[in-house]
Amino acid sequence: MTYYQLISLIAFLICFLSLSYHFFRLVRLGLPKDYSRKTGNLKSAVTYSFTGAMNPLKKESAYLHLPTYTAGILYHTGTFISIVLFFLFFFDIKLSYALRLILICVMIVSGISGIGIFIKRTMTKKLRLLSNPDDYISNLIVTVFQIFTLIVLFQESFIPYYFICAALLFLYLPLGKLKHSLYFFAARYHLGFYYGWRRVWPVKSNKQIK
Amino acid sequence: MKDNNSQKHKAIKILSESKDNKLVTHLNSCVHCGLCAESCIYYLTTKDEKFIPARKVNLISSLYQRYCTFTGKHFPFLTGARNLNEEIIDEMVDQLFGACTLCGRCNMHCSVGVDISYVVRAGRKMLSEMGFVPATLQSTVNAAIQTGNNMSIPVEEFTDTLSWLEEDLRDEVNDPHASIPLNVQNTNILYTLNPREPKFFPLSISAMAKIFYAAKEIWTLSTSMYDVTNYAYYTSNNNEAEVIAERLYNEMLKLKAKRCVLAECGHGSRAFRWEAPNYLRKSFPFEVITSVELLAEYISKGRIKLDKNLNKETITLHDPCNLVREGGIIEQQRYILRNAANNFIEMTPYGIDNFCCGGGGGQLSMSEYNERRMKIAEIKTEQIRKTGAAIVATPCHNCVDQLIQIDNKFKLGVKIKTLAEIVADAIVLE
Ligand code: SF4
Ligand code: SF4
Repeated sequence: MTYYQLISLIAFLICFLSLSYHFFRLVRLGLPKDYSRKTGNLKSAVTYSFTGAMNPLKKESAYLHLPTYTAGILYHTGTFISIVLFFLFFFDIKLSYALRLILICVMIVSGISGIGIFIKRTMTKKLRLLSNPDDYISNLIVTVFQIFTLIVLFQESFIPYYFICAALLFLYLPLGKLKHSLYFFAARYHLGFYYGWRRVWPVKSNKQIK
Repeated sequence: MKDNNSQKHKAIKILSESKDNKLVTHLNSCVHCGLCAESCIYYLTTKDEKFIPARKVNLISSLYQRYCTFTGKHFPFLTGARNLNEEIIDEMVDQLFGACTLCGRCNMHCSVGVDISYVVRAGRKMLSEMGFVPATLQSTVNAAIQTGNNMSIPVEEFTDTLSWLEEDLRDEVNDPHASIPLNVQNTNILYTLNPREPKFFPLSISAMAKIFYAAKEIWTLSTSMYDVTNYAYYTSNNNEAEVIAERLYNEMLKLKAKRCVLAECGHGSRAFRWEAPNYLRKSFPFEVITSVELLAEYISKGRIKLDKNLNKETITLHDPCNLVREGGIIEQQRYILRNAANNFIEMTPYGIDNFCCGGGGGQLSMSEYNERRMKIAEIKTEQIRKTGAAIVATPCHNCVDQLIQIDNKFKLGVKIKTLAEIVADAIVLE
């Protein structure tokens, strides 16, 4: 194992342990307790929370902001792929030429999306007022990681810098809003539980509302 | 600041010693994407960035960051962590009490799924702990606690009103035995009221009495505890909310009614149907339903007969947030109106996507925010205007109040009615 692989591995473990702490804290706090009489179906509501409720046609945050929403989806897809690629690079698993080409295209699009989101945050007053340094740093560090992933797909000799960048990302992740990679799932669960308990979700179609 | 550090500590403890998985989750989930802005009536009508829902969440999460996280304790600048001081308290009062109706619309549309109104309520709880609830809102809670109803109506005045309503009922149904029963034990239903009804809108009590008469229901009102509202839900003072909820709970046990039927009041329904069992930390041994559900049941079971030709004018429906988005009563009011009126049309958007009228969250009690309240009402005004309806039906007395003010201010020329009034107008007595 090279020194840069070792550094990234240590950083990854620190990140994993920190997120595990958050995860187990939530587990320890337990599931929501509600004494009122349930009228809905929790299982279908929680499922709906992760599926139907995420439908861009159902959320104003998506359909009123389609370019930003699309950029966000592409950016998150790129991030997820970059994390998977980190392990492939770490274990030196070779990718076929065709797959590399596809990944390069995806990473270019997601990198551009990341830069776009950063520019929007900087240029829009509404977002500037809402943002703190962590928002910019998180956006930057993930975008740079994606760009480094892209470069490695072209140029393997870049790999030491790539692993150092990955280490920085892993060390930073538990400190700020990137923790939403964990809390997102908990938030969707709670929302599904809440609306499911009261039979608000899953949403009935207009035809069912008779 | 009103008091010393101990109050501040108590407020911070709400965050730092929270055993509430949901609160911890939502305080850690906002990604500051700002995409919730256009879901909030405050931002939509004013375009003032401080009204973006995430900014309201931010006020509380910045305190959470400062006192409960490693980053916030050691590098506060990084995540915008803030100290609890007068500056942030002023902002909290202004934005959490004065610029949120707790309508929950933003929750559904948040890109992540942050329960924004839940976090706002946690912020209100902190303010309540420190004694910063607006005096106007707190006085409504105090009235309920001290007198048994939020309008401080003396029992004699209440019973007087009911006795002339009973006479009217007898005339209307042409039956000298028709009655508005008081404090009767072992009935099927203990019916509650919003104190606005005996005070300002007695006709909605008459309407419900007529419906009970037509349905041959065995029901009663209580003279000692009939108030369906619980404004302590709005102040987020759970101790006071518990006191108010417990009274109705005890009255149910005392009168041994089978069902508690909650009058047309959005927050009151929410507070007793969904929150009260949690305030009291017990499941209720009786059924609690809203009058909207009861009316739908009477119609579907054929217990009342309606002639929808008796309601000829076009009716649109305003969905109270607490009943619909936060209470799951979505279909019943539509079913009722389709059966009771000739021409019912929906607003756009409607149902769980409907916009708040602007009167929720305790706004109607906080006169200091009146101007803002009428500004945010512009959205509802346009929704109503576009329907061209002559009547706006809504199963909530708070909404009725706000809609009447909207009608006056924006010259809509519509009538505002509760569902019971519309159903009573369509009843065919056999
Ligand atoms: S709950 Fe309603 S009023 Fe409050 S921030 Fe959300 S959308 Fe705005
Ligand atoms: S949409 Fe949700 S995640 Fe985005 S800023 Fe608003 S509250 Fe935060």
